Amino acid sequence: MNKIFAIVRREFIERVRQRWFWVMALLGPLLFGALMVIPALLIGSASLKHIAIVDSSTQGLGKAIALQLDTSKVQSVQVLPGPRVADSLMQVVSAKQLDGFLLISDALVDSGKAEYRASNVSSFTTNNEIEGALRRVATTVRLTREGVDQAAIGRAYKVQLDMQTTKIANGKATGESAAQSFSLAYFMGIILYIAILLYGINVMSSVLEEKTTRIVEVLVSSVKPFELMLGKVIGVGAVSLFQFLIWGVAGRWLFSMRSKLGADPSAASQSPFQVPHVSLDTGLIFLAYFLGGFMLYSAMFAAVGAMSSNEQEARQAQQPVSMLLILSYISMFGMLNDPNSTYAVTLSMIPFTSPIAMPVRWAAGNLPIHEVIISLVLLVIGILAVTWVAARIYRVGILMTGKRPNPKELLRWIRTA
Amino acid sequence: MPNPAVQLDRITKRFDKNVAVDQLSLNVPPACIYGLLGPNGAGKSTSIRMMMHIQVPDEGTVRLFGEDGKTGRDHSARIGYLPEERGLYQKMRVLDVIVFLAEMKGVERRTARIKALEWLDRLGLGDRSMRRVNELSKGMQQKVQVISTLIHDPDLLVLDEPFSGLDPVNAQVLKDEVLDLKQRGKTILLSTHIMEQAEQLCDGVCIIARGKKLVDGPLAEVKRTHGGRHVHVAFDGAAGDAERLFADPKLVKEKESTGQYAELELAQNADAQDILKGLVNSGARLAKFELAEPSLNKIFVDLVGPEAAVAAAQPEAK
Repeated sequence: MNKIFAIVRREFIERVRQRWFWVMALLGPLLFGALMVIPALLIGSASLKHIAIVDSSTQGLGKAIALQLDTSKVQSVQVLPGPRVADSLMQVVSAKQLDGFLLISDALVDSGKAEYRASNVSSFTTNNEIEGALRRVATTVRLTREGVDQAAIGRAYKVQLDMQTTKIANGKATGESAAQSFSLAYFMGIILYIAILLYGINVMSSVLEEKTTRIVEVLVSSVKPFELMLGKVIGVGAVSLFQFLIWGVAGRWLFSMRSKLGADPSAASQSPFQVPHVSLDTGLIFLAYFLGGFMLYSAMFAAVGAMSSNEQEARQAQQPVSMLLILSYISMFGMLNDPNSTYAVTLSMIPFTSPIAMPVRWAAGNLPIHEVIISLVLLVIGILAVTWVAARIYRVGILMTGKRPNPKELLRWIRTA
Repeated sequence: MPNPAVQLDRITKRFDKNVAVDQLSLNVPPACIYGLLGPNGAGKSTSIRMMMHIQVPDEGTVRLFGEDGKTGRDHSARIGYLPEERGLYQKMRVLDVIVFLAEMKGVERRTARIKALEWLDRLGLGDRSMRRVNELSKGMQQKVQVISTLIHDPDLLVLDEPFSGLDPVNAQVLKDEVLDLKQRGKTILLSTHIMEQAEQLCDGVCIIARGKKLVDGPLAEVKRTHGGRHVHVAFDGAAGDAERLFADPKLVKEKESTGQYAELELAQNADAQDILKGLVNSGARLAKFELAEPSLNKIFVDLVGPEAAVAAAQPEAK
């Protein structure tokens, strides 16, 4: 027992002493902060757009639209329609003297049709602004036709809409917006993927180091190979928890400092990425699946390290293991849309994909607790089975030199008692 | 008779279809230096790994310190093991490596620290204890390995090719430590393919080739029973008596004499002392009387030579 503890301590201390640990510890919150601040900055700094309005309507709609546009966002000039005016305006846009132009006619009022051509049509802010102006003008004209008083229309527009979205969990409102659950699920997926891969590979290189330096021979003359592997996995796992602790504390601090960091919360609320509120049970689910996923994958990575005799071989041999993890990461995007589809439920039950799939489902939507329990039980069974196989490969592999075993030899390693 | 430190009873280890060690039995008596000798690939390292329980024999048993049912791993606190291929954690600090490896041997952390510092001082590495291993020269790293093998004051020291790769200074350091340990009643088992070293150091030997034991026992006995026993004599006077003495078939099997100088091969069961007595009684003045024992190297080549030739002639004959 003391020996396992010594192995755990060595893994922990040597890793925490390394520079890359602190680089990661710093980069994590920086990334976190960047995801929080950058969208806000981008929205805040959406530059002023200059457009032309080509008005071929009979009722001066172009001027009305120009009045509706917020001149701090979009400034416009009126252009008279002509047979070749669109072509020449396109030249002007290409020459970057104009950001775009709007083509309107009477059809705007009748059927809501208008056309906006620009060098960049994916700017949410600009599109929203122009669409809003078009909508208000068309509505105003229509209401006027119906005999509604202009002043009354003006008053009607004074209402400021502010719809809040709130997630319901266990019959209670959670105070989480839709955007927040989305970002929470997304963040958890990314962090789980990176952390499991990173620390799994850490276990692998640690195994490989002992194997290539042959220290392993001295070690297994004093401890059982399984104890060595266990100590390693626990030690690296402890490092990862320490890393999360640093990230957690730093993240909280950044969150509390966000107004001072220049991220205007009201601007950020328009961004699809939001700093989510992490509840205790979400945190626990995250930790449980991280630990489970880490144990499952690090056992596999340990086996890979044991069967390789140098870095290159290990890099090749770890590809199938990484692919499994990448697969669960990629499948996350499909799950975010519908966290309760058969596809998502299946992935969150299979031990190889559940460490990422289940927390993502949990964060994205409300889950029946029994699904979580079944998934956790399956994960534990998966860990036991994989560890049993991995330990057998490990035990033989660490003492082997020479070429990497083929699948047939691997099977024999597993079978030898 | 005290329990042998190591007792192998017909241990066999196969890899695929290859028999690495075949029915090997040997006894290493306590408080001596024992050499496991053999050419490369003879199965020395595999035998040692089985003693250490790093590999489990397919057949046969390993007994250490005369205790049944306990493996090398169970006894690891009493065993110091230096494998043939050596390495250290390159990025760890020297002191930390030694302490960690001592902990693996069951030494308590604080004790390990104190002892490690003592050892480092003793071997002239006192000022390097906080350096990383990869900042040390190769020779210094070898010292660190020697320290981590000896730090827990083992009763049994198992050294696989201990001198290969060691520079002369460290080889001497290790040799001194080994002799010192023997003085203190510890048992040392070492494997080597360099016979001169074994001849200098070992009290007992076991020669193996292709996984099989060829001969074992105390070095003197092995020398006596293997290879001819020769006496070289140079003398003055009493030539006739001497001739008569050398002609006795009970004493001398073969002789090559030039009157005043003779090289004799002793007959079976003959004692060289009888020839000495006979010569002295005859009144000859002895200038030289030498028991020319064959070197271990000669025995080794005689024994292993044909075996190795057979091995080369029929590879993988199973």
